[in-house]
Amino acid sequence: MRTLWWTLAMAGLSLVSILLSENRTFDPLHNLSLTVSAPIESGLRDVAEPVSDFFEGVLNRGDIVRENERLRRELERLQTQAAAGEDARRRVRELEEALGFKESRPEDQLIAADVIAQDPSGLKRALAINRGSTDGLDEGMVVLSQDGSLVGTVSLVYDHFAWLRLITDPNSAVNIAVQPQGEEAAAAARGIALGDLRSGVALEMLPTEAEIKQGDLVTTSGLGGNYPRALLLGTIKTVVAKPQAPSKSAVLEPAANLSALDTVFIVTSFKPARLSAP
Amino acid sequence: MKYLVALAGGFLAAVLTASLSPYIRVLGVAPDFVLIFATCWAMVRGQQEAMFVVPLAGLLRDLTTSDPLGLSVLALSPIVFLASLRELRPVESDFLPALAVVAAASLAYSIISMTVLTAVGDEVPWGTALLRLTVPAMVVNPLFAVIMYPPMRWLSPRPRPASFGVGSAVQL
Repeated sequence: MRTLWWTLAMAGLSLVSILLSENRTFDPLHNLSLTVSAPIESGLRDVAEPVSDFFEGVLNRGDIVRENERLRRELERLQTQAAAGEDARRRVRELEEALGFKESRPEDQLIAADVIAQDPSGLKRALAINRGSTDGLDEGMVVLSQDGSLVGTVSLVYDHFAWLRLITDPNSAVNIAVQPQGEEAAAAARGIALGDLRSGVALEMLPTEAEIKQGDLVTTSGLGGNYPRALLLGTIKTVVAKPQAPSKSAVLEPAANLSALDTVFIVTSFKPARLSAP
Repeated sequence: MKYLVALAGGFLAAVLTASLSPYIRVLGVAPDFVLIFATCWAMVRGQQEAMFVVPLAGLLRDLTTSDPLGLSVLALSPIVFLASLRELRPVESDFLPALAVVAAASLAYSIISMTVLTAVGDEVPWGTALLRLTVPAMVVNPLFAVIMYPPMRWLSPRPRPASFGVGSAVQL
């Protein structure tokens, strides 16, 4: 009987607490908790990372050697193409433009932030960073990796900390454009990149007539106003063939290593549609 | 004093879960040290102490994640019910029931947290999550409980022999 009363009391308290939490009542408590735990979590991450890298290297040595060999062949092929003609050089320039965000997006104002924790539940793909509303962060702001590819958006902001929603989170949806590569590049195919627990990022709603192949670049389309145009997300990993489907699907290989992010950049100069609306 | 130890242990488990566990993924899932800590405490120290330690651990977990405050308190509460298995003593060993309770608590935690997240409007892919997170967690969390349970059992004060009667009666 005592256990039953305890359960009812806990259920009631928890539900009230969840409701209050949804109204952001406990934000100061979250901020305080992260202030206390952030230095310890950062320290533990700093210790864990090299250890994890070492074991990953040992366990995946064969994969790394094969990957290295594949990249060497890829480099050789690209160098041959670049030397062969103007068209190849143009494609290399396009890649450089997409990757070198500092040169191509000089107008962006960025704030650097350190990753201090990851959401452990597995149901979410979220990271905690050591910047908050006092640094000018707001929910919906766009987050980039150190190399300038899209990582996600700011989803929760406290005074000195914030949580990011990665593009692999099931709640993430980004309007994208697939940039076809090749001699006679067609127009970009537009679709949506949806976070997926299974594949990482699934590309949906791509036109059936679009010629999409492995290795094509995927960038933001700018539609909807929540992301700037031409931010690199990654490349096409696989194209999912569904003959009867009304649209094409594909799986994205993110440009950034989302599981090993240490530092991210928040774009403060771009106001997403939600924030800039009157 | 014991609740101060529980507070320190719960905090350490929450910090480890948020910082270290993503680096030690097994079968695609990270171990939940808070759930393992709370379950082991309940199995070592009994239902009465679990009624305080389980909500405390849940609160500490929620404060270090992006989940709404109260979600883990609710999702961990079945541990208190499951800890009654300790009193039933289905087998001679304390260890095997503890592992079974960790597995059952992982299942309960997953289902309750997914229900709450769905209720607050989050996108939860139930099928994928059950298959790729819940089922592996029911294996991975007991694996880590194999490491955490023995020191907690060893550090917990031994039951004192009763001073009355004869035989092997113990006072819990």
